[in-house]
Amino acid sequence: MSLSNAQSRRRFTRQSNHRVKKVAASLFVLQSLSQFAPSAHAEEASGDNVKRGGVIRYGHFQEPACLFGGWVQQWYLQRQYSDNLVARSESGKIVPWLAESWTISDDKKVYTFEIKPDVKFTDGTPLDAQAIADNINGWLSNDPDLRNPTAAPYLSDSFESATAIAPLRLQVTLKVPFQPLLNVFAQSSQGILSPSALKRGLAVNCENPVGSGPFIVDKWRHGREVTFRRNPEYNSAPATAKHQGPAYVDGISWKFLPDQTVRYGSLITGETDAIYDIPAVAWKDANSRFPVLRHLTGGTPLRLALYTARPPFDDELVRKAFAYSTDRKAAVDTSFLGSLPFEGNGALSQSSPEYLSELGHSYAYDIRKANQLLDQAGWTERNPNGVRVKKGNPLIVRISYSNAFLKPDDEQALQVVQQQASQAGFDVRLQPTNPADFFAGKNLGPDDYEVVLLYWVAPGAEIFRISWKPDQNGEINRFNPSRFQDPRLWDVIQKAEQNFNGSERTDLYQQAERKIVDEAPVIGLTVLDVTLATKPNLKDVWLDRGAVGEPVFYDAYFDDKK
Amino acid sequence: MVLLWAAATFTFLIQCVLPGDRAQIIINVTSGNVGPASSAELAAINAKYGFDQPLAIQYGKYILGILHGDLGESYQQHRPVARIIAEQIGPTISLAVAALLIAWMIAILTTLIIAGRDNICAKLLNDAQVFFATAPPYWLATILLVVFAVKLRIFPVIGGNSPIGLVLPTLALALELSGFFGQVVQNEFTRVLEQPFVTSARARGMSDFGVRFRHVLRHAALPGITLSGWALGKLLSGAILIEVVFARQGLGGVLVAATSSRDVPIVSGAVLISASLFVLVSLIVDLTYRVADPRIKLT
Repeated sequence: MSLSNAQSRRRFTRQSNHRVKKVAASLFVLQSLSQFAPSAHAEEASGDNVKRGGVIRYGHFQEPACLFGGWVQQWYLQRQYSDNLVARSESGKIVPWLAESWTISDDKKVYTFEIKPDVKFTDGTPLDAQAIADNINGWLSNDPDLRNPTAAPYLSDSFESATAIAPLRLQVTLKVPFQPLLNVFAQSSQGILSPSALKRGLAVNCENPVGSGPFIVDKWRHGREVTFRRNPEYNSAPATAKHQGPAYVDGISWKFLPDQTVRYGSLITGETDAIYDIPAVAWKDANSRFPVLRHLTGGTPLRLALYTARPPFDDELVRKAFAYSTDRKAAVDTSFLGSLPFEGNGALSQSSPEYLSELGHSYAYDIRKANQLLDQAGWTERNPNGVRVKKGNPLIVRISYSNAFLKPDDEQALQVVQQQASQAGFDVRLQPTNPADFFAGKNLGPDDYEVVLLYWVAPGAEIFRISWKPDQNGEINRFNPSRFQDPRLWDVIQKAEQNFNGSERTDLYQQAERKIVDEAPVIGLTVLDVTLATKPNLKDVWLDRGAVGEPVFYDAYFDDKK
Repeated sequence: MVLLWAAATFTFLIQCVLPGDRAQIIINVTSGNVGPASSAELAAINAKYGFDQPLAIQYGKYILGILHGDLGESYQQHRPVARIIAEQIGPTISLAVAALLIAWMIAILTTLIIAGRDNICAKLLNDAQVFFATAPPYWLATILLVVFAVKLRIFPVIGGNSPIGLVLPTLALALELSGFFGQVVQNEFTRVLEQPFVTSARARGMSDFGVRFRHVLRHAALPGITLSGWALGKLLSGAILIEVVFARQGLGGVLVAATSSRDVPIVSGAVLISASLFVLVSLIVDLTYRVADPRIKLT
């Protein structure tokens, strides 16, 4: 799942020049702004005496083509107008939402959910067990109008059926136990939509989806904003919310502001009340001036996936040598100006519950070791350009990446990596690819790259299923770009998924995590984060921990008159 | 009509020739993933969009659709392309036309002041014209935004569709163009200033400004008018960048997103509309010649 897709869709040729100018301009903004905006710090919000009313003007980053779907930019929106079956708390615990309670059968294959009574979708359709079953069955079907590209890769192997066994009792049956099921249900992309509204077809639903959430999609002015109005009948807040009943504010004006100068500038000038994705150049300034919310996303970090199905990276020694030859921490620190941390654990991001911090500094820069490993692997000769050669083949490493999945600062980090690896005799060639070509598969074929930069956001280690499932029945696992296929690793992952004992499952996932880091089919670079800066008078905005850190405006209120 | 047919055929061919499977791209863009999708997923998308039919039939349906005013349905937005373009083209046209007018005004004013004069003010203005003609509009846009919206707070950062919100984007586009216009008109202006009829006008006792404004400008404007046709094309493409920088509604954001996700129906719809606009603008330019130079007769 890509966090920053179209962002980059909005970047053009001569990107680095453009970027330098943007950074310079943004710095100029920051210098010039300090004289205007009053300094403020986050305050503890109180639940009592909350003032109602007002519309939150929120400056988001990218505009999706449809208001729901598999791309995280769609999850942010869906979180505002739909409810999930269950919610995931900050500590990772699954708590009630539309399901008030649930039981799991002894063989762990049958989940029975008791659905909250008297909940209605905003089009008046009752939200009962049948409605939820219709949603779930649609996600796992091949109907392009209903299929859910997030739920499907998690559940397609284990899911059998979802049925309403009573008006408010939902039964989900699995073929094999799958413990992360509830984590999957808690992600915003699995928000429950009105089945009668879904029958209107994608064209209408993309524009005007109907959920049961705290806000109702009012109007989508394409290219500008989506306006939400409060759902006055709202009675189905999750257990993670700070209050029950309808939202405090009248609505949200969700503006699309792809340019970071405009986005941050609009908060400074008071034209927005909250903005998403604080630019790296403004990170320190924003922290000194506004309440800042931040969530490092779980799942995979942003990592270099090494193509392990052919030379040179079919050799574990060469993979490790490449990792040791690059001072990725320095590259990240230089490029992100302290706004994002280095992540040396290529398997799992540091906000995942199963994260092993001791792996966070794996393969620290050690050029001597890199050279030693390469010598050991038989790459002993060097050509006149200093590039190592084995049996006449130079040690070329082509890195494919696209601004569809990266922030501009990532590209800078890659340029640093390119320089560093050349010291050990790697000939690193960067293959920037425009989003359309990247989605079409350019520079991603089996012979097209040695390294590709990708990530997938998830709550935690359940992402291993998606990343490391071996090819089966002639269908290749498209989400495994390093093509690393290890039956033992897959065995451990499946055991973890089927184990309902918390600490044993964590142990198993951590075994897998160690194995992945140890064999280095992926090398960590940095993490993805969700950041939000709000005006000091906007209280109780929080980030959902279901998967991505979607902003939740349901509990938010203005503590003075706007 | 031939031009429009050629444009339609060209865009159809382009989408067939571009590397990558169309169904694959749709799936990847929708899910935010890369890599080959399963054959079942691909089959469902191919059937939905008719990609499994022979190209000749796809082409026939496409052309037939256009003849009925149907530009197809967006792969990503799932809405009719005609509607998507219709709701976005207004702000883009108003931006382009406003920028064209402002560019002309700036160019004419500066030309009236500096052509044929050799003082410091004329030199400075001339240098400014060259500077603006070469400065990239998106860079100018950021500078204008930072100075006038964020720092001085004269204009809003998020302009929206309000008239005041139109000022900075218009200037960002118009300044570059005014530099081009200025340089072209000024050359012609200087040449015309030396013509005998100018001397004769002066001999009649006309003021210098009067001579420049009433006689010389009309002659000097002809190459500028020719340039306006080209300029409108340039403005429409420039507007795409400017709209994205200023987060303005318009075809820009839609086209950039459509190009990045290879949402071909939107791109080809936009190409068709642009081609029609070009035909229209060329006609207007031809008619304007007649007004500027009565010697030209319409045949």
